[in-house]
Amino acid sequence: MKPAPVALYLCLFGTVPCSNSFSSDMPPAAEVCAGCHGVYGQGLEKLGPRIAGLSATYISEQVRHFQVGERRNVSMHTLAMEIEGEPLAQVANYFAAQSVRPVTILRRGEKILFTDPAERLAYQGDWPRLLPACVSCHGPSGTGVGDIPRLAGQQADYLRNQLRDWQQGRRKGDRDGVMANIAGKLNDDEIRALSRYFAELE
Amino acid sequence: MTKSGPCPAISPNLNEKAAVKRKLPAALITAFNAAAITATPLAAQEILDRQEPLPPPIEEMHPVIVPRPLERIPTGEFGDKVRLGYRLFVNSQLLRDRYVGNDLSCVNCHMDAGRRANSAPLWAAYFAYPAYRKKNDKVNSFAERLQGCFTYSTNGEGPPVGGAEAIALSAYAYWLGMGGLMDFYELDGSVPAISDEELVKGGRREDFPMPVALKKALPVDKRAALAGRGYPPLQNPPEAYSPERGQQVYVEHCLLCHGADGQGFASAGVHTLPPLWGPQSYNWGAGMHRINTAASFIYENMPLGKSIQLTQQQAWDVAAYINSRERPQDPRFLGDVEKLRKKYHHHQCYYGQSLDGGEILGSEAFADFPRRGD
Repeated sequence: MKPAPVALYLCLFGTVPCSNSFSSDMPPAAEVCAGCHGVYGQGLEKLGPRIAGLSATYISEQVRHFQVGERRNVSMHTLAMEIEGEPLAQVANYFAAQSVRPVTILRRGEKILFTDPAERLAYQGDWPRLLPACVSCHGPSGTGVGDIPRLAGQQADYLRNQLRDWQQGRRKGDRDGVMANIAGKLNDDEIRALSRYFAELE
Repeated sequence: MTKSGPCPAISPNLNEKAAVKRKLPAALITAFNAAAITATPLAAQEILDRQEPLPPPIEEMHPVIVPRPLERIPTGEFGDKVRLGYRLFVNSQLLRDRYVGNDLSCVNCHMDAGRRANSAPLWAAYFAYPAYRKKNDKVNSFAERLQGCFTYSTNGEGPPVGGAEAIALSAYAYWLGMGGLMDFYELDGSVPAISDEELVKGGRREDFPMPVALKKALPVDKRAALAGRGYPPLQNPPEAYSPERGQQVYVEHCLLCHGADGQGFASAGVHTLPPLWGPQSYNWGAGMHRINTAASFIYENMPLGKSIQLTQQQAWDVAAYINSRERPQDPRFLGDVEKLRKKYHHHQCYYGQSLDGGEILGSEAFADFPRRGD
């Protein structure tokens, strides 16, 4: 178990303000989230990933996963236990509605020769290992599809930790173990390279 | 001949000048072929002895095709056609409103861009045509078969046989198949460029241009039966397939990607997660509307990446569920669902049938080839 970031506790117990300014349309229940994810959900390095623009369903589902231990993070578990029902829906809708920096979209087929193995994996997968292309579910340039989360512009550290957590069974709750299966086939170098690739997309 | 050193861009006129590999361990050849760089300048200049018999196949069986990595598509005019074919295959929305009338792309039903065995691979189809098809009661060339895909599976209209699109898709299919065959039979070098006219016909014919040795190793009557072709047929299910049970399977295993309403999800204008029924999916004439075909596809290929294996019963049931929903009309429809059912739908499907007292499927079918502006 990782210790909760100090800043979170300071924020939770009111020692420091969670953020200097709150967005006027932010639901009260989201204020505590802003301490680590930012007022507009853009994420704060080392504290919390970007949650802006994720689908509301996905956000609510992740909170539930923290509640029941399918995702493990001490601070998120503690905070997730405090919220449900309408406030959760409001929080999820609020962050889902926040805009994210757009990235240049690369659709499948627009590029065939890849020099970056991570990009090749993202666009072609590695089918002899039964690894589909990341973009077939996460969308062109990893911009997210339906309730499947956006990867583009997400923190590299966060992406890497998630892939490792899927791989090692610390993160669950994916339908039919789809991500556990995929992450389980990736080696450390690939995980690092893919995380950096999606994080750095512009 | 050496196997190392940089490889210059292979000019198209050297494509046919390949060299036969001899006595190389299969593993070494595989590893060698996996590399992006293949022929040395020396190898590229050697002329293939087309009369020399090939070494016997590695096993006494049909060749196992492993398509070459896309990096090995040659530079030049022929390679450009292959690349265009790949591009259209993985994003068929480039042809939206011209030849494609729904949200699907070829790659939605042919995994790994048509490369994967048991996922109706393009390379196996290429060597299965020309062939007689009951569907239109004539001998179809490969490009004519492709036209069928556009008419039925993408609910559109076949691109002309002599047009750039049909040529490109044929070139891609040919390159996948020929490269895989050359590797299997240990023939070195680039896939030979052949004319557009030859490309669109397909590889199952006596006059198909291929090295004599390869022709002997794989006579015409064996070409349609490459291992991994189509979707491997399933046994009949233990219990009669049931859309009701299928709905449960759908909710548990398919819904996240294909949506509660079966309409899939798009991002940046591409339905990477395709609609399975409704106006934006394949029509009532497509192969996939057959419950057995869909069951085979699903069993073999879904969920994407195969984190779990559905049982055969589940695959049949969910195929029945998906194909018990309304979709675009069979393009052969002339105004009478029952007549069409009797003429063309003597197989495992629900066209022209009513389930649980509902409307007769096909009677409220969606439009064929709707344009986006309509």
